[in-house]
Amino acid sequence: MTRVVEVPAHFDDRSFDQFADGVGAGGSERLLFDAHATQWASPYGLVGLLAAGQAQVEQQRERPLLTLPADRDVAHYWARAGFFRHAAEYFELHGKVPRVAASGESDVLLEVTPVRGADDVHDVVDRIQERAATILSRELGLEAQATLGFAMALSEACQNIVEHAGTLGWVAVQTYNWRRTLKRRVVVIAVADAGIGFRRSLEATQAKRYGDRWSDGTALEAALVQGVSRFRDPGRGQGLAGIRRYLGRWSGKLGVRSGTARFTLVPPWDDDVPLAHGLPEFPGSQILMIIPAQDGGAAGHAAH
Amino acid sequence: MRRIDLKDILQRTLSDEYGDLVTRRTGRAVRQAIERDLAQDGDGQAAAIDFRTVRCLDLSCADEIVGRLLREQGAVRSFVLLNVTAAHREALQFVLERHRLAVVVQDAGGELDVVGALPEAARRVFGALAQAGTAEEVARRLDLPADVARAALEDLLERGLVVANAGIYGPPTPYLFGPGPAV
Repeated sequence: MTRVVEVPAHFDDRSFDQFADGVGAGGSERLLFDAHATQWASPYGLVGLLAAGQAQVEQQRERPLLTLPADRDVAHYWARAGFFRHAAEYFELHGKVPRVAASGESDVLLEVTPVRGADDVHDVVDRIQERAATILSRELGLEAQATLGFAMALSEACQNIVEHAGTLGWVAVQTYNWRRTLKRRVVVIAVADAGIGFRRSLEATQAKRYGDRWSDGTALEAALVQGVSRFRDPGRGQGLAGIRRYLGRWSGKLGVRSGTARFTLVPPWDDDVPLAHGLPEFPGSQILMIIPAQDGGAAGHAAH
Repeated sequence: MRRIDLKDILQRTLSDEYGDLVTRRTGRAVRQAIERDLAQDGDGQAAAIDFRTVRCLDLSCADEIVGRLLREQGAVRSFVLLNVTAAHREALQFVLERHRLAVVVQDAGGELDVVGALPEAARRVFGALAQAGTAEEVARRLDLPADVARAALEDLLERGLVVANAGIYGPPTPYLFGPGPAV
């Protein structure tokens, strides 16, 4: 028996809950992720889709199916973003995977990249610095200090996987035009894993403090507002707090989803809610960081 | 004063391909190598750590290296961080504020400053120590009462941010480290 999970036509953080609902509904049937009608996917959508496939495989369930986007341009973009390089490990792919040549001129700052350990974080930071500094300052009008802080934020988000997920995760970075509310160019960092999530990671040290209130939402609050960590070392728990401060300074958005809750640092240009409870369950944690072009930053290229 | 080049430490402990100080694992390895070097010196011997070749310093690494070194050794020796950039400062400031600690930093141009948690009066007095001086001289430079300047200098001394000899206060031997590359 196979159950179809529709990949949203416009697949990003806003439509992710709809996607998670589809993944979580039903029983232990084999899943078919149907992306044939997908018109656009953000880096968050792509790493989230990989995490969904990874979760199925790690739960010893039958390897899910994935139908590729029918739109040639969309499939090409997924290929350019490095999605298919890893997707075959977690999905039985249906449709023709486009072959793409590497191009130096791309809005993909970092292709979908697995993060398994500290060496991968080094590799990610090393690769991003080569490309990001020029693009962030030229296209987004960010100061040099912001571009250096960018690598720091990326590193800390990736380490969240290494330190807390208990499994591998994924990261991707891209620039594009944010049409919805901002009408500016943005750089987006998306990090996702299908690991144990914040609630389980913090349970041993924090659950007692919260008693009946302990949930995915309070776990996110503890980590992101109070800076607590599962480690007793007083130096721990600074990474996410540092990301918050960095994004706050540059009017950026931070969204951290784990289990059934999502914490959001809401910038003035966005209308999200600070803490959403009762969302459809999705394994692990998913982090979204959006940094907008500063005033005077170039409007840049068209969205893909 | 012992000078520790982080490039050498990285090459010795991890890989000569690493130019970034990121991840807690890397920070731990670097700190342990620094501790082994410092163990050759007696307590009280100041140390200068050179960040010249470090591009990205993340919070985890800043905490493991500088935060923990200051927490564990700050009472027995002074530290000066050399060739610190604005980006390094940001990570250091964040980490040290959390631990309520401070450290002397020198940028590539040779300018000294303090990064971390420090009362405003002590920060201001440190800023007047480009030239070493007595409490009275520092008080005159800042137009402060001498007892206020002396209290701030003693506060800095207790935190290991200045040294004192025969009533003359100054930053921890900054004159050894002029601008430019490490030698």
